[in-house]
Amino acid sequence: MQNTNENFSFKKYAWSQFKKNKIALVCLYLLFTLIIIAVLAPYIANERPLYAEYKGETLYPAFASSSRTDSIFNSSGQLDEILQYDITDWRRLSFTKVIWAPIPYSPGGMDRYNRDYVSPGGKQRFKNQDGEITDAPKRFRHILGTDGIGRDLAAGLIHGTRISLMVGLVSMGIASLIGIILGALAGFFGDTKLKMPRVKYWLTLFGFFMGIFYGFGQRKYILADAFGESITSGILQMLVSILIIILIIFLFRQLSRFLQFGYLKTETKVPIDTFVSRGIELLNSIPRLLLIITITAIVERSIWIVMIIIGVTSWTGIARFTRAEFLRIRSLEFVQAAESLGFSSIRTIFKHALPNALAPVFVSIAFGIASAILIESGLSFLGIGVPDDIVTWGSLLNLGRQNLEAWWLIIYPGMAIFITITIYNMIAEASRDALDPKLKS
Amino acid sequence: MFKYAIKRIITFIPMLIAISLLSFIISVNAPGDPVERLAKSAESEGSAQEQSGASKKIKQELRKKLGLDLPIFYLSITDLASSDTLYRIQDKYHQVNLKALTHQSGNWQAVSNYYLSLLDLEKSYRKIDAKLIAENDKTLDLNIVNEACNQFGSEIGSLLETSDNNLVQNSFNKMNNLLSSNSFLVPLTKPLIELESRRTALSTNRTQWKTYIPALNWYGANNQYHLWLFGNNNDRKGLLRGDFGISYIDSQPIQDKIWQKVGISFSLSLISIFLAYLISIPIGIYSAYRKDSAADKGMSLILFILYSMPSFFVGTLLLLQFANPDNLAWFPVSGIQDPTIFDPEWSFWKKIQHRIPFLILPIITYTYGSFAFLSRIMRVGMIDIVSQDYIRTARAKGLEEKKVILKHALRNSLLPIITVFAAIFPMAIGGSIIIEVIFSIPGMGVEIYNSILNYDYPMIITVFTLSGFLTMVGYLVSDILYAVVDPRISYK
Repeated sequence: MQNTNENFSFKKYAWSQFKKNKIALVCLYLLFTLIIIAVLAPYIANERPLYAEYKGETLYPAFASSSRTDSIFNSSGQLDEILQYDITDWRRLSFTKVIWAPIPYSPGGMDRYNRDYVSPGGKQRFKNQDGEITDAPKRFRHILGTDGIGRDLAAGLIHGTRISLMVGLVSMGIASLIGIILGALAGFFGDTKLKMPRVKYWLTLFGFFMGIFYGFGQRKYILADAFGESITSGILQMLVSILIIILIIFLFRQLSRFLQFGYLKTETKVPIDTFVSRGIELLNSIPRLLLIITITAIVERSIWIVMIIIGVTSWTGIARFTRAEFLRIRSLEFVQAAESLGFSSIRTIFKHALPNALAPVFVSIAFGIASAILIESGLSFLGIGVPDDIVTWGSLLNLGRQNLEAWWLIIYPGMAIFITITIYNMIAEASRDALDPKLKS
Repeated sequence: MFKYAIKRIITFIPMLIAISLLSFIISVNAPGDPVERLAKSAESEGSAQEQSGASKKIKQELRKKLGLDLPIFYLSITDLASSDTLYRIQDKYHQVNLKALTHQSGNWQAVSNYYLSLLDLEKSYRKIDAKLIAENDKTLDLNIVNEACNQFGSEIGSLLETSDNNLVQNSFNKMNNLLSSNSFLVPLTKPLIELESRRTALSTNRTQWKTYIPALNWYGANNQYHLWLFGNNNDRKGLLRGDFGISYIDSQPIQDKIWQKVGISFSLSLISIFLAYLISIPIGIYSAYRKDSAADKGMSLILFILYSMPSFFVGTLLLLQFANPDNLAWFPVSGIQDPTIFDPEWSFWKKIQHRIPFLILPIITYTYGSFAFLSRIMRVGMIDIVSQDYIRTARAKGLEEKKVILKHALRNSLLPIITVFAAIFPMAIGGSIIIEVIFSIPGMGVEIYNSILNYDYPMIITVFTLSGFLTMVGYLVSDILYAVVDPRISYK
């Protein structure tokens, strides 16, 4: 007995509990499959062949960038043909040897011979190498049909996997960052535990405002220019701004050391829990979809901005769970031990308490991913926020709604959304049961 | 209890202020100039003439009416370099440009001099009459004169809206070229030279350090936020007294538009929530009654899967199956009435009768959204309650299982119904955007959808603010009701 207790690991125990739920295990494998599809999307659905031998040259068009240009020379060394990768009609070239992607179409590529909602089982046209229009050979059929402008549905679905995974990852990444930090601070300190000299408290708040003034107010134009240039330089400048804010707060806190006398020195409580709880309440009192739609209405249309907005507005659940968990943990012995050893609060929170609080938070993140994907597909279903040229599951489903005869545009994208959401929900539920048997219903 | 209610109401007020601030911030940052939008929708029949005096006057009146000539908020935090009277500038884009210029140079006086001389130049430019010049000097062709004048005008226009050094220099060069090649533009030479000298003064007399010193300006109650929320004593009544502003689309008051649409959304959400409860309560009871039976397990799995099914997919599937001539054309595809036979004179019941086939699919979809969620909650709630001590006591004293469940357990598990109060009001005002769009129901959801597609910000902001307010009110009511109904809950 003693021995098993020593080797007892909560992770192992939770995993063995999780494995008992067969459906959830299948969902986990499905999730891995989705991730693999998302990562390999450009090689699963691509109108450029994976490997081709053309007029004596060996090409790997699907692996090259679409802006690439190849010059093909004939046997006597003269320029024979220039292949511009993005506009070449690859299907019409006569290759000596070729390996096509499993789905030989790109998500945005329009097949002009199969416009106007060609059904998966219906007659599909194909222009062969001699320029004649024939029935599509089996290799070049649109296996799931096309939309009104001849885009391949299967290719759209494959690339949509990428977007839906990214939405879940990015938005919940942002949400967990905000939610965990705020929830941990609120739960650990409560309203009474964080005490500091009055002058330090005031100067910290003042430093925060000054930080915002110098970090965002004065750098407004720099930030706007950077975001106008590219998203990476924008994020870089954003980080610089945040660094400036932190630096200024730090400076003001240092400054407070020299002012500690008399009234200014008296300890005062920082009601950090009240701040966070009120913030959560405020954000929860606004219908989330409406909040997101309102914000997307005033910013420019971009999938990244949609992800950021979803992340910034959906941290409340995570924060609530983290807070509750920290309220419980902060009175446990190991936290008290860490405190009595004189560790700093930050170290106690993030190194000792946080790893033990993450299990329920993980569940709420998994549920959050499902709802983020749901919101994104709802938005693109309405055509709000996500640009028109980005093919997502929601926008495909919207095409089907506008033309009910094209049932394949309803069934397949809808099933893709449904299955993905089910997978996340199922994994979340199973891990909740595995991590906390008390909650099992 | 009473104390709790008072306390709750007191915490409720700052939240309302916070919501109003949030929506005001969003509305202030909405792109575009409201005056331009409204002026366009007000005189849509007017031809695309250049800014005539009349339209400028209309715009000025609109600005005054919308309160855009006021400062934005009670106070503003700027830097020492900025002017605290910038809000008085008429044009929104000029304001933005002047702000950027001030940020570059840090010298508001110089910026203002530059701007004034730019306006001067524009004034003298407007005095030039291409027709008159062409008539006086027969060697000139009217088209050429017009062309030169227009080019000059567009350079002035771009100078008014750009702070970029290269672009400004470019404009100056072009203007100088135009001046030297067209003798009839001579009256503009003097103001242009003046302008250029002020531009150089702008770049030489920099006081950039001023932009690093924060400054606080206090404007008092005469500001846009105050006007928007509380109105003034004459034409504006303010949000709190039911004046939500004017729509950009048709210049109609927003409160009128909302009143026309809110009824249908409200009744749909009411019916669907009622139906959802009607279905989910028996499910909850059954699960508690037959806990861990195969039927219960199967049901919980089905509920779980239904819960993951997006309602917009369900709605589209219903349309595909039941409102589609290829499958079953049982129900009409869209709308809530057939305009060819619908007669507004019909009696209430006749109207309802006519609308029923239109409403069945939307109500199913609407109900579906809350049913799966509610059933899961009901089920978990019931199971939780059945394992409580007092249920065991009831069983122990020999009550039959039916009575235990229906009389003792159900009563307590119904408490969460009260929470629905928090959801009904905002649902009515926000409508279910997605479902209303799928079935083209002319309710609030479609109204919001259209206002988003048309960038009708006053409408969006109003709905946003109202639904925030109403949710808060709903929370307040349900919290207090909860405290009234459930004596175990004490709010200390």
